[in-house]
Amino acid sequence: MGPGLTGYLIRRVLWAVPVLFIISVAVFWIVRAAPGDPVDSILGRDFYSEEQAEQLRDKYGYSDPLPVQYWKWLKNFSQGDLGISTRHRDFTANEIILPKMRISATLGIIALVITFGLGIPVGIYAALARGTILDPLMISTWLMIDAIPYFVMIPVIQWLLAIKLGLIGLGYEGLTSPNIIVPILLLSLPAVAGVARIMRASILSVIDEDYVRTARSKGLRESTVIFTHVARNAMLPMITVIGLSLPGLAGGSLFVELFFGIPGIARESLDAVLAPDFDVILALTMISSILFVVANILIDIAYAIIDPRVRLGEARG
Amino acid sequence: MAIAESAELFQVEHARPREQRRWLRVLLGKKLAMCALAYLAVFYLAGIFAPLVATHDPTKTEISVEARLAGSSSEHWFGTDRLGRDIYSRVVYAARTTIIFTFAVLITGGVFLGLGLGLLAGYRGGWIDTAIMRVGEILAGLPTLIMMLAITAAFRTHINNLSFDLADATWLSVDEARTLVKFVIIVGATVPFAWVGSARIVRSQALAIRELPYVTAAEAAGASTPRILARHIFPGVLPLFVVGLSAGMAGIAGAEVGLSFLGLGIDPPTSSFGNLISEGAGARFFEQFPHVLIFSSLPVIFFFFAWNLLGDALVDILEPRANQR
Repeated sequence: MGPGLTGYLIRRVLWAVPVLFIISVAVFWIVRAAPGDPVDSILGRDFYSEEQAEQLRDKYGYSDPLPVQYWKWLKNFSQGDLGISTRHRDFTANEIILPKMRISATLGIIALVITFGLGIPVGIYAALARGTILDPLMISTWLMIDAIPYFVMIPVIQWLLAIKLGLIGLGYEGLTSPNIIVPILLLSLPAVAGVARIMRASILSVIDEDYVRTARSKGLRESTVIFTHVARNAMLPMITVIGLSLPGLAGGSLFVELFFGIPGIARESLDAVLAPDFDVILALTMISSILFVVANILIDIAYAIIDPRVRLGEARG
Repeated sequence: MAIAESAELFQVEHARPREQRRWLRVLLGKKLAMCALAYLAVFYLAGIFAPLVATHDPTKTEISVEARLAGSSSEHWFGTDRLGRDIYSRVVYAARTTIIFTFAVLITGGVFLGLGLGLLAGYRGGWIDTAIMRVGEILAGLPTLIMMLAITAAFRTHINNLSFDLADATWLSVDEARTLVKFVIIVGATVPFAWVGSARIVRSQALAIRELPYVTAAEAAGASTPRILARHIFPGVLPLFVVGLSAGMAGIAGAEVGLSFLGLGIDPPTSSFGNLISEGAGARFFEQFPHVLIFSSLPVIFFFFAWNLLGDALVDILEPRANQR
């Protein structure tokens, strides 16, 4: 890491602060200005007296003017206190969000490894098979899987595996139960097409480079040329793809969680939005925005370390 | 729901306008892409001419038990749903919903914001460029799913008021106004996240093209900014813009289907693939009445698949180095 990188990183981190500030103000305003009384979701619609409502509004600070509320929220958030959940009474937003996020992220990371473990070889193979029928056939098979929405694929798979063949149970029985294999495959397989496509394009963009021809003309074995000369250089764009898929891991996958009853963060997001559960929505949005910003910075660092030709601050904004 | 984000990951190099004929030849030579194009033509024609193509009134319900959830027959090609409505006719009208929705998002998010802001940012540069790209960065950083759900959920509580107001102010009936309001809500929830990808593609192209001699020549000749944008920059940007859109189409259409599936988009009796599929999507229900899920989902699955294949083929054609082998 040269001095240029350090300076660049400082600029990036400094720039991230106003971006996150604007996001937090915008989301705070959208969520608080949206219709729906938080007291409704705490006490149940129409089942309370005005006094009770006033009491709660004072207790949670909903009667304060918006800027005051925002300031209080920001102060707590910067200390790691995400606020209270109005939907689950007496639970803090931390207690609601963090365990669920851990479940979703665990599943997401396993799925990510499978996706790239399959996608990269498929992409390389398709690129090498260019000009034959195998190339479009392979990519389009994965594209077909990608085209089936979860809410169509899952009921059919559940019917086949659980009802017809009786191989799995339908419910969620924890991350260690074999039942979890099906959701993990569903999370990973549809994404293979995207990874394979980019890997294929990336291989094709380096395969005619001079250094590849040099390697071949030196008499190196074809497999050595492909793996050490072509694939290694073609992996560079993968850094962006992997990096950009990281923030999504903390968001979970709504339909997989809904259909398999997984108590993950995507289901909580839907419920929080419908309730509405202010602090939970804000916390989820902010966590995911922060992860996005961090992921982008990590991508830049990774590029600078792996490829010395990359001059930061010029190529990527 | 990463809308149009996938498109920008393809780092496609700028292709010269002169080669347009060649692309067409290469595209015609790709059998899969041609099949995709043929399917899309059928889908769009069916949707646009829905009243002619449908065999039944898509909203007409049947009370008798035998008429409900009946399988495929010569009378009802795709069978009937829970309320005895003809699924084939509902699918045809759902295609129309998809077409209207994607068209609205393409015009507002794709052409107006994506192309317009991208051209402006790339050609003018300076603070305009910074402002547009930073707003895009902020939007890209937001969790799309939560934001779309939040926006639709927030506005849906106003649907009744808005549609009564709209019906009073115009010649529309309350039901028509309500459908229109729902369309506007889901378009409004999708567009903020749908333009960033295209704008980035267009901007980087415009940045490259504005340095070319013919643009400098036009500037020296005193051509106005709109004229330079329209006559000189736009034609060079167009191919990649179209590729970006076609690669992002499945994602855009998928947003409406997903929201409608959750009951946050287009609701019955108006047909949408989302609400058709939600009727049949359950393992137990599928065991008993598989026709509901199969027939209401296959047309839209092929629609997504066809756009993905077409986008893939176009990327392939535009990647000049990939063609040298």
